Amino acid sequence: MLRLDDVWLRYGRGGGWVLRGVTAALAPGEVAVVLGLNGVGKSTLLQVVAGVLRPSRGAVRERPAVVGWVPERFPADQPFTVDQYLGHIAAARGEPRSAAAQWTERLGIAGYRGVRLPDLSKGTAQKVGLAQALIRRPGLLILDEPWEGLDAATRDIVPELVAEVAGAGGAVLISDHRGETARLPGAAQWSVQDGHLTVGGSAEAPWVIEISVGAGDAVEAAARLRAEGHTVLRVGPR
Amino acid sequence: MSALVRMRVAGFARTGRSLAPLLAGLVVIGILYGGGQARPAEAYGVSAVVLFPVLAWQTKLLLDTEPDVQRHLARVIDRREWLAGLAAAALAGLVPVALALVLPWLIGGVKLGQGDSLPGALAVGLWTHGLALPAAVALGALASRAVTRSAGYGVAVLVSGMTWALVLGLKSSPAPWLAPPVMPVARAVTGAVQGGQVAVLSVWGAGWAVAGLACYAYLRRTRP
Repeated sequence: MLRLDDVWLRYGRGGGWVLRGVTAALAPGEVAVVLGLNGVGKSTLLQVVAGVLRPSRGAVRERPAVVGWVPERFPADQPFTVDQYLGHIAAARGEPRSAAAQWTERLGIAGYRGVRLPDLSKGTAQKVGLAQALIRRPGLLILDEPWEGLDAATRDIVPELVAEVAGAGGAVLISDHRGETARLPGAAQWSVQDGHLTVGGSAEAPWVIEISVGAGDAVEAAARLRAEGHTVLRVGPR
Repeated sequence: MSALVRMRVAGFARTGRSLAPLLAGLVVIGILYGGGQARPAEAYGVSAVVLFPVLAWQTKLLLDTEPDVQRHLARVIDRREWLAGLAAAALAGLVPVALALVLPWLIGGVKLGQGDSLPGALAVGLWTHGLALPAAVALGALASRAVTRSAGYGVAVLVSGMTWALVLGLKSSPAPWLAPPVMPVARAVTGAVQGGQVAVLSVWGAGWAVAGLACYAYLRRTRP
C-alpha cells in the first residue's frame, strides 16, 4: 500500500513549507480525490506522490513500480509528432511502439498521429498526456486536473479510465478544483489546506463552483449567493 | 533507459539547436587547421582544448532542449532520467569528436612526421578528446537549467567553468588540479608522452569528470 509518512516539502531552504506533515495511505484499487483551492499545494502533493519531487522530510513508501502521471499542462513544445512521441514513451516503458495505438484510437486522436505536438490544440495535447500515462497499465495513476481543456466527450472517458485502472488493482489519485469529481462518487477525499492534508474530507475545505450567467444578471446572482451564505470569489468577464 | 537516451538525442537532433554547436565545432577545427600542416599529436591536443567549450555548450543545449515537465515525466518513468541525459550528451558529443579526429586528414591539416604512425596518431587523438569529453559533459550538465534554474545562472556557470578550465590549465597555474587537464594534455602531446604521464593525466581527467558528474547527480536529487 502506498504510504506518505510525515511528508514535508519546501522549495529551497529559505522557502516556506508547501506541505506540512502529510500522512496518508492509498490502497491498491482505491481512488482518492485531492481537493483544495488554487495554490494550496495540490499539484505539489501529486508530484511528491509521483516521485517527481523528493520530500524535504519524511518519505513516500511502497510506490508501485509503474506510475502514470498526467501533468496539469502537457509539455507540447517538443519536436515530435504524436506517433513519434508516444513511440518513444512506449519504448521507455518497455512496451512495443505500437502499444500507443489503442489509446490514440480510444481518446479520439488517431487522426492526429502525424501532427507535430506544438501544432496540437490544448485539449488534444492533454489527450496525448493521458495516453502517455496509460501506455503501460499503471499501478498508480496520478491525474492533475485531468478535465482541464478536454471536450465533453473525453471528459466522460476519464471516469471510465479511472475505474479500469482501479478495477485492475491500481491506485488512482486525482486533483480537481472544478467539482468534476462528482463523476467519481466512490472516491475518497483528500483535502489540502495551508499545507496540511485531511483525509476523508473536511468541513473547513470549501468547494469552488464556477458558474456562468449573463452580464446583466451577474450582480443579482452574486447578491443572491451571498445572501444564502456562500462566498463569491470573483465576478467579472471570463 | 536506452529509450530515454534515444528520445533525448532525437529531440536534440530535430531542433535547430543542435546545429549551432556543430557549426561552432567545424569553425574552430577549420581555423585550427587552416594555417598549414601540423603533426597530428600536437594538433589533436590543441583540438581537444578548443573543442572543450563547444562540447560543454552542446551538453547544456541538449539537456535544456527538453521542457521541464517532460523531464519530470521521464523521471516518473525511470528514476535514472538524469543518467539518460548525460548518456545522450556524451553520445551527441561523439559527433564533434569524430569530426575533429577525421577532418584534419581529409583537408590536409595534418602530416605524419618521422616516427609517427596513423594508428598511433589516432590513439593520441582518442586519448586527448576522450579526456575532454566527460569533463565537458560534466560542466555542461552543471550549467543546465535543471540545476541552475535560470538562463542567466546557466550561462554564468558555463562561461566561468570554461574560463576556469583554461586559466587554471596554464603552465604557471598555482592550482592546476582544480581544473580538468585539457591544457596539460595539450602540452604533454607536443613531445614524447611517457606512460607514467599518460596514467597521471588519465586519472586526473577521470577524477575531475567523476567529481563533476557526481556533483550533478547529487544536485538533481532535489532539482527535478
